[in-house]
Amino acid sequence: MFEHYKNGDPKTNYEKANQSCHDSQDKYNDVVTFVDYDHPLIQEALHHQDGPLAAIPIALKDNVNTKDLKTTACCHILDNYIPQYNATIVEKLINAGALIMVKSSMDELAMGGTNLTASTGPVANPYDRTRISGGSSGGSAALVASGAVAMAIGTDTGDSIRKPAAYCGVVGFKPTYGRISRYGIIPYSSSLDHVGVFTTSVKDAAISLEVLAGRDDRDMTSINEKPEPYADLLNSDLHGKTIGIIGNVIDSIDNENILDQFNALVDKLKANGATIQTVYYDEALLKTLLPSYYLIANCEASANHSNLDGLRFGVRMDGDDPTNVMINSRTHGLGPLIRKRFVIGSYGLFEANQEKLFKKAQRIRRLLVNATMDLFKHVDGLLAPAAPTIAPKMDTDSADQLSDQYLIADNWLILGNFTGSPSITVPLGYDHGCPIATNIMTKPFSDQLCLDLASAIEQASGFEPMKGDR
Amino acid sequence: MEYDVVIGLEIHCELKTQSKMFSASPVNFGAPANSCVNEVDLGHPGYMPCVNREAIRMAIMACSALHLTIDPLVKFDRKNYYYADLPKGFQITQQFHPIGRNGYILIKKSDGSTKKVRINRIHMEEDTAKQFHLSDATLIDFNRAGTPLIEIVSEPDMENGAEAASYVENLRQTLLYLGVSDVKMEEGSLRCDVNVSLKPKGSNVFGVKNEIKNLNSISNVEKAIDYEIARQKDILDNGGVIEQATRRFDEATKTTVLMRKKEGNVDYKFFPEPNIFPIRLDQTWIDAIVNNLPELPDAKKARFVDQYGLSDYDADVLVANMGLCACFEALANGCTNKKMAANWMISDVLAYANKNDIDLTSLKDKMDGLAKLINMVDTKEISNKQAKQLFEDVLNGQDAEKLAKAKGMKQMSDPSAIQGWIDAVLDANPQSISDYAGGKDRALGYLVGQVMKLSKGQANPGLANKMMVESLKQRIG
Repeated sequence: MFEHYKNGDPKTNYEKANQSCHDSQDKYNDVVTFVDYDHPLIQEALHHQDGPLAAIPIALKDNVNTKDLKTTACCHILDNYIPQYNATIVEKLINAGALIMVKSSMDELAMGGTNLTASTGPVANPYDRTRISGGSSGGSAALVASGAVAMAIGTDTGDSIRKPAAYCGVVGFKPTYGRISRYGIIPYSSSLDHVGVFTTSVKDAAISLEVLAGRDDRDMTSINEKPEPYADLLNSDLHGKTIGIIGNVIDSIDNENILDQFNALVDKLKANGATIQTVYYDEALLKTLLPSYYLIANCEASANHSNLDGLRFGVRMDGDDPTNVMINSRTHGLGPLIRKRFVIGSYGLFEANQEKLFKKAQRIRRLLVNATMDLFKHVDGLLAPAAPTIAPKMDTDSADQLSDQYLIADNWLILGNFTGSPSITVPLGYDHGCPIATNIMTKPFSDQLCLDLASAIEQASGFEPMKGDR
Repeated sequence: MEYDVVIGLEIHCELKTQSKMFSASPVNFGAPANSCVNEVDLGHPGYMPCVNREAIRMAIMACSALHLTIDPLVKFDRKNYYYADLPKGFQITQQFHPIGRNGYILIKKSDGSTKKVRINRIHMEEDTAKQFHLSDATLIDFNRAGTPLIEIVSEPDMENGAEAASYVENLRQTLLYLGVSDVKMEEGSLRCDVNVSLKPKGSNVFGVKNEIKNLNSISNVEKAIDYEIARQKDILDNGGVIEQATRRFDEATKTTVLMRKKEGNVDYKFFPEPNIFPIRLDQTWIDAIVNNLPELPDAKKARFVDQYGLSDYDADVLVANMGLCACFEALANGCTNKKMAANWMISDVLAYANKNDIDLTSLKDKMDGLAKLINMVDTKEISNKQAKQLFEDVLNGQDAEKLAKAKGMKQMSDPSAIQGWIDAVLDANPQSISDYAGGKDRALGYLVGQVMKLSKGQANPGLANKMMVESLKQRIG
């Protein structure tokens, strides 16, 4: 896809993409804010048209701070928030020549997996508008799937890039925790938050990572390693590589079509030289992944978002004194689901509860990390379908949250956040006309290996995006 | 009834770093409101903290000087609460792993003995913003938000206001000598919260404590505590019950006033700050800091007594004022008589600086000239009185010797000239001679005074005195 735009006239590319983004917005409601051609975000990028992303139209999830451009995280309390600074990655993208076309829709404060909670309304799936895009980076997924932009930035705390990528038939990649700076990105849960990309190919993801990666002194959790020429180094040769299939995930999936296509992929990978091995987590331990995740994420989020009080920025409601201004602003500006999560998070952090909730969840996280690292002693990558279903219908009730399929197959991607491992979703095929996908995860810091394996999977699956008006 | 008084202090001290604890914006007391802030200090969405290495260095200096054990693994935690002066909705602090534990300060008790006050911990944290409550609005200045702080928590080892005041003064002096803080209580760079409780004498059950907040001077620390002790004693003696509360000292009435009753402890939901991984400090870096501490007050005092032969009192007075100390050392360097240098410093130089509102450190480079003047007194080239007349000119940069010459002040030690004045004075004062003969020693002083007057102060007074005695003996026979 990058090839398609490369060497193009930036203004022409901008105008075409601007039209496509408007079309995409009309159909899928995936845009929060359009960026004018005169805006510094574009104008400054015009000075960098020798960069690796020159003239390439991209989207930013609306939790990425853009100087002088509204950044709402799809939360009403930030409806009027115009940042005074750019996130580190925004500077990097501008310096690479990328054209930031839009800010994309997301679940409110990135806390959701459906994109139904965005302040701007739900995002439709480009393959079937009655279905969800997935979330929380649903706008970014839809914009890349619809072809409006060639790349979109997303953030991923549980599976918020990799799940919507699966539902929308695009590549969704989150590299190692700390590989990409989080400075200037409105957080969800600091110890789990990752920045990543949606693209239409693994190679484009690799090119993007080279631009985005690197130590940022303003983010103390960022990795002290220089970016590599990931795309140039891409190597899809599978000989000598061992891929572990996560048996627990496979066993909990009901959809035969997905399983058949996945098994066919595995056969091809084997034929292409890979050693295949089925591995298992302790099932009881794996079932604690989701509840532990919710606790850690909600606890950290409840503190992270305590700055949203209406006093210094955002939508301020009246009150008799500063305390009441804060109470009224938060009550009015935060959605009901968000407030529920904050209550859960606060509850988990109370001194009386912390030991049996927050700290216990942290200990479970440690056990799951150890279990995953043990598996990585034997395999190069862990592979499974990215989701057990195609994108759900917008109006369906949420799944049975205590079923094996939900606890394991629908949420195993969280392992990538617990461990900080690079993890990438690659489209696999279709079921009922909607995309299905696979995901591979490699051990922390092995981003090149992850991209290499993804490239091999991409070739083996031979996924073709559907043409025509979606 | 007799009581044991239990006093503990929590002191917040702003560190004198260039930038803030977790952001790059400047620390600058007195700057226009909200001019030293960035997205981190304001808690704007997407901010991330970055630890100030200099603040850690200063905290290590404080820990070392106060004999605390330094934890080389630096960790931070979030203290969660909502308040208008707290931009992020939490304060980053060190709840679980303070940088230092288990230290002490030596204080002097009123009977002259020395007492050890233990320090429980020193931890690093960030300051809040400053609020200004008007009748119809609250204004907030975020310049202070994020300023590095160390909190120094004592054990409840003090028993009265004087001990607490002595503790604060010693602590203040130490931090000042370390150069880690301005330690100005009136500006809030040193803030003191006091906990006071009483228990029946000998009991090992603590009484209910009251906290007195934000005392803005050391003397107020003492007054507030002594008032609070009397207040609690009065209540207990009358069969009353002390309620746990936060109080403030009212300067006008010299009493403590109730601010709020304690409604159970607030749950701050402390948890580790996820955006700052634990930082393992390099032991050689710590050692370099610890081994290069500036000279601290106690050591300096001992050295002054030892090296310059000063009295304990003089050394105390000098060490209590860092500028005075620095000047003294420069002066003593050039003076043959160190005791004389100390006297000049404590009386004349200090008075001069106070009168003219001059920062003592700015006088440091004038001390060579002053040393010359003092040496002239010591060698009796000029009299002490003459030297005082020249003092201000010398501090203004003029040369003592040239001045003395120009004013004809060279002290006269020529015996024949002095004998001339003595003879003239004795001739004119026969009554004084007979008084002296009659045993009135006062007469000698008067006669020597007359010699000084006649010589316009130039006569060497010691010599004049000695020769006068001789002459009187001769005349009386």
